[in-house]
Amino acid sequence: MSWAAHQFEIYAVEAHLPKKMVGQISWFAIFFGDFTPDFLAKFWVYGFNLNGHHYGATKPYQWHRGWPGMGISHTLFFGALVCLGIWAWKHNRAWTIGFLLGFAAHVLTDVNDSIGTMLLFPFSTLNWSLHTWAYAATVKGGKYLDAAAYYSSLGFVMDLFWFFVVLGSWRVLTREFWRTRVVPADPHVWSWLGRWLDERGLLALYRGVFFYGVCRMIAWTTWAHVVARPVINGVEHHGYPWDLSWTGPWWVQHVTLPQVTPWIVLPVALLLLGAVYFVANTLWERMESGSIKAIAWRNVRRKTT
Amino acid sequence: MSEPSRPAPLPAPGTPSKYVDFFLYASAAVTYITLSIYNKWLLDWIVGPFWLVAWVWGLPALVKLVRRRPVRPPRGRIEDPE
Repeated sequence: MSWAAHQFEIYAVEAHLPKKMVGQISWFAIFFGDFTPDFLAKFWVYGFNLNGHHYGATKPYQWHRGWPGMGISHTLFFGALVCLGIWAWKHNRAWTIGFLLGFAAHVLTDVNDSIGTMLLFPFSTLNWSLHTWAYAATVKGGKYLDAAAYYSSLGFVMDLFWFFVVLGSWRVLTREFWRTRVVPADPHVWSWLGRWLDERGLLALYRGVFFYGVCRMIAWTTWAHVVARPVINGVEHHGYPWDLSWTGPWWVQHVTLPQVTPWIVLPVALLLLGAVYFVANTLWERMESGSIKAIAWRNVRRKTT
Repeated sequence: MSEPSRPAPLPAPGTPSKYVDFFLYASAAVTYITLSIYNKWLLDWIVGPFWLVAWVWGLPALVKLVRRRPVRPPRGRIEDPE
């Protein structure tokens, strides 16, 4: 799984929208799209302890990404279903397409760990994984071991990569960008929030997810390599050892699910990313009349009530 | 020929200063990171963004409250002081 990368990619998607969608895609939709897969699946991955009993998945990796399990929450198929639901409910293309882009970003980023995601579900329940780093959520290790493994492996590099992608498009974090591109796409939500917060507060809210990504990356890395004193193979270490090799770190058990050969994963993932943008582009035009009708209908209802 | 330089317009009342903003964001990051290294429950997707909002918006709002100035954003049209 990826950690802060999921926070950064929201801003990366926002900054690299197709031209015709600039200033029209809901930032909240991108956020919820990116956030939904883990919101649905991750709580039970780590579980919780109550009265000395652990409640949670017995095989976290199977639950998180497999079938049967909540692996469906990390499939493009599920994202498309939710988008259909949003469209049927609100006829709002800013939210439908925004959700699709955020969701796709999450699913495609997660092919990097050793479990990967079921990219072609429901046609295939095989997982697609690049094995860039080891999936490390275990019942015994919980969140701490997972974080330590991620921030000792190429997962850390992945977070840095997305961090620099956002920094490369730093304007996405500016007040002007927020005013001219983000607020106009979601005027009702921002004006509703504006009842309580002034502009400084609203801007902080917009930047908050990026802030959280940066801080969690620094905090977990510092904890894992400076504060923690793990015992690995009977030897106490000052911090978890770094291992930036492929499928690292060496000190966690590698778990896998039935999967396709890693060699075809990258081209297929890139192809699917292109397909998502193509579909979003195509639907964007076709959804216009539906969106306008829905807005007109809403206005009529407001006037009559 | 270049236009005669005009004095820069004064910021509207309540416009956040860049330096104050920088201080608020930086102090939010330093406090959040420092505390969360030892209290990892803080590293949560709700707490993180909320921390920033509380720090960047909440602290100035608190100062306004102490000075008995309105905290909530003004509603309706903002009058031009001139």
